[in-house]
Amino acid sequence: MLIAGTVPVTDMPLTFGRVEREGKNLRVDGYSLPCTQGTMAMVSAALATTSYLGLEPPRVLLAGDIGTGKGSRLIYQYLIEHIEELAPRVLALHYCLPIVTLMQKLYTAVEKYHPRAVLIADAGSMYAAKAAGVAPHFDIFTPDPSEIAFLADPEAVHPAYISRHLFEDAFARVPDLIKRAYANGGAAKCLLVKGAVDYIVKDGVIVDEIKEPDIPQMECIGGTGDTITGMVTAFAYAGLDPDQAASISAKANRAAGRRANPTPATSVAEIIDQLPGIFRESLCSWSGICTR
Amino acid sequence: MVLSWLKNKAVAARAGTADARGLIIFATVEEAMHAEKVLKKAGFDCKLVAPPPGMRKGCDLALEIDLVEQTAVARALTGRVSYMGIYPFKGEIELLQVEKVTWFTGHVMVKAGNMKLVFDRKTGVIVNISGGGCPDIPYLYTRLVGTHLEAAPRPRDEGRTLCALMLDRALEKALEIWKEAAST
Repeated sequence: MLIAGTVPVTDMPLTFGRVEREGKNLRVDGYSLPCTQGTMAMVSAALATTSYLGLEPPRVLLAGDIGTGKGSRLIYQYLIEHIEELAPRVLALHYCLPIVTLMQKLYTAVEKYHPRAVLIADAGSMYAAKAAGVAPHFDIFTPDPSEIAFLADPEAVHPAYISRHLFEDAFARVPDLIKRAYANGGAAKCLLVKGAVDYIVKDGVIVDEIKEPDIPQMECIGGTGDTITGMVTAFAYAGLDPDQAASISAKANRAAGRRANPTPATSVAEIIDQLPGIFRESLCSWSGICTR
Repeated sequence: MVLSWLKNKAVAARAGTADARGLIIFATVEEAMHAEKVLKKAGFDCKLVAPPPGMRKGCDLALEIDLVEQTAVARALTGRVSYMGIYPFKGEIELLQVEKVTWFTGHVMVKAGNMKLVFDRKTGVIVNISGGGCPDIPYLYTRLVGTHLEAAPRPRDEGRTLCALMLDRALEKALEIWKEAAST
């Protein structure tokens, strides 16, 4: 499993390695990084999942980027040139500046070797995949309601430019937006649309809806979408089908949220800390994965 | 492996982007050419192009930019070159101008586009930021969370992307709510 994305550290060069927990932080190739919103929240949740399942910890490809795109370009270029050598079974792309031509090159590189990696994208990488016209070739996207509106809008190049009518009632119209996203070539094979209701979609068909427990405060907490993507990546690495991985991840995220008893000020790290207990309690009944 | 590769890529070529492009429209050709110099000197990837007929607003020369960098581009031009507007090649001409507000017992969440900002109703301190997908958002999270709304750095000043611009709109709306509550 390989997770690639930027971190908000100005002087961090391109860094590759296995990730390990170090107290409240994660350590990668000598760098200690906090588990805050973004790529590191995703990696933390993936690590919690692989640790529970007894799998190898995630490999990560990180670079510092605070919006200039410098770190994002290094990540894209490195993947393009080394994907065969890295040979990930699952490749998850996360916070990167959406750079369409580089995403197209990366997709071409991934397609060249076999077996092809399971491709997962969230955040800026999902924006780039849609804009590059390669969304249907991805295995899993994990958008929120405003992002599914973006995927549904064939003209939009960024969620800030989606049509006003699509944005205004996006929450109420997610199933319709899902249909539009598939019709317009903006969707991956499997979607996990995160929100008040989590929709699991396989090839355009909604196969699961997860509504409980309903914890509105979770929407406030930066990183709670990233944790879902991290778990999806780890469960896909464990061999689950994308829709099953998505369904379990959505359930685990909500259950962890309930156990953390969050307020809008809660940090995502407090949610991630609950994941091992949730897996012990429910993973066997949800998935048939009964490791402990 | 990474280090040896990095040595070969010491000066990595900036990759161009394709569809996620935007146009800056100017009143005069001279301004468009001046803006190109300013932006290129500042390190932006841009080129002079003819705007499509539907977007001609006074001249036949526009500047093509990476739309994701709209916020930083606008900042780089401010006070140096005047322009009529920045627009996407595709999609709606206007940037999304909708904010939604959700009230919790002790907090308020303001949503603008794909960005959400949450502040404490009693203290005015920003307690969370969520949403978005561009790499300046995790950075802005570290800069804004824990600071007071009125003391927080503006994402439009410190960020570079459209996500940052949406976050700035959320902050502006949050400030409006905070000041209105303080005056009553």
